[in-house]
Amino acid sequence: MTSLAEYAEIAVLLAPSLATAAAFGIGAGIVGVFVLLRREAMVALTLPQVVAIGAAIGLRFNSPTLWPAIASTATAIILLSWARGRNAGPWLLPSLYVAGISFSFLIIAGAGAHVSELQNVFTGIDVAVTPDAALLAIPVVIIAGLFTAMLWRRWLLIAQAPLVARLAGLAPAGWDTLFLILAATVLMVGTHALGAVIVLALLFLPAATVLPWCRRIPPALVTAPLMAMVYLATGFVLSIEMNWPLSQSVGAAGFGIMIVSNIFAALRR
Amino acid sequence: MIRLKDTIFGYSGRAIVRAGEISLAAGQCLGVFGPNGAGKTTLAAGMIGLIKPLAGQVIRSSELRIGYLPQHRALERHWPMSALDAAAIAATARRRLGWMGDARPSIQAAMTELGVLEFHARTFVSLSGGQQQRVLLAGVLASNPNVLVLDEPTDGLDSASREKLLVVLRARMQAGLAVVLISHNVADLLELADLIAHVAPGATPAEASTVNLIEPGRFMRHVTAMRGRE
Repeated sequence: MTSLAEYAEIAVLLAPSLATAAAFGIGAGIVGVFVLLRREAMVALTLPQVVAIGAAIGLRFNSPTLWPAIASTATAIILLSWARGRNAGPWLLPSLYVAGISFSFLIIAGAGAHVSELQNVFTGIDVAVTPDAALLAIPVVIIAGLFTAMLWRRWLLIAQAPLVARLAGLAPAGWDTLFLILAATVLMVGTHALGAVIVLALLFLPAATVLPWCRRIPPALVTAPLMAMVYLATGFVLSIEMNWPLSQSVGAAGFGIMIVSNIFAALRR
Repeated sequence: MIRLKDTIFGYSGRAIVRAGEISLAAGQCLGVFGPNGAGKTTLAAGMIGLIKPLAGQVIRSSELRIGYLPQHRALERHWPMSALDAAAIAATARRRLGWMGDARPSIQAAMTELGVLEFHARTFVSLSGGQQQRVLLAGVLASNPNVLVLDEPTDGLDSASREKLLVVLRARMQAGLAVVLISHNVADLLELADLIAHVAPGATPAEASTVNLIEPGRFMRHVTAMRGRE
């Protein structure tokens, strides 16, 4: 059993990573509520793969990976918005997913050291965020999350009554694109800093845990980030006590809590 | 308020429905009747400016405030929302960032008028179909429209809920609200409509539907004859 002093020591050592993961829990907890409600889970699964293409390009040319990751994500959003305008979104997304997992590795094929770095983007086994990367990622994901929360009635309107929105002079397609940009920002920054596993765990699972209990959207927007913190703390303890990787520990803890939550919610009805 | 002159409405250059001369004045109700897929919604969308005419002219007065009542069954039920949230969907559509701001009193007043204020904190999905439809209508009325488009507003409602809805609509029409009522329900059309636009499909699927205007007094005979032919 690890002592409290040892926990504190590890927490200080991992402070940039834990702070980034906590900030991501806030941003992704909020965005995840709308990702699930808007049935955009496939977008969320695909974008980390697209980020990996950008990261692979950066690795290939021994240059920073953030800008290529931004470029590949932006390209995917433009392509997706264009495809949705032509009802081609349903088959573009899974195709992009396959392209992501294929091209990201083909780009660095033969460069052994880079392959393990890219694998880390996917698996997040070694979550190690530098202080500089944390300073960049933390405000971005929190602001994107809070901005998404501020617009909750807009997302409700666009989902429930697009005709009413059009009559009010709003373009539902434009708002859909704005949501994609916000979700992509959170996912891109999170995947780049923390890896895909913890990103997807903190995006989907808190929302999936709290939504069966929420009668309105605002309580879900408050409780999902709180639940993300619970997952992070539980995953952190599990990773130390069991000597497990942090990302997978967070995912496992989150999944367990989500299942229990949904069972109790179903029994309550 | 709205006048159509020899208009053709459609999508991507393909004509869906042809309408001759149709006008809608304050306090009037235009019923829109016809089989599924004939182009009823296309006609209504063209009248309120959601689609441009492929031919002809649509004249709308400049101060139109158009409300649209979606069908309660068309809402995505997995979104958690209270009855007040559902009513606020239409009322907050024109507000900056969609915030409720000072719209709450007008939404609550409209919910009171429709007898659903007591349900404001309940989840929308826990209400009956009639209560849900009245909640949505309250939201639309709270945005103070002068033209209201109703798409099958009494579909799935019990007779008491239907009557409550129609009473409020009649009262609003007397106060000057113009209504476009898309409905399969002959009784609704006979109760509310001053004129009924029967959207009749073309002879072949490629041919556009045509709109025949029928006085309510002749509508029942028209429907009986039409069903006899079917």
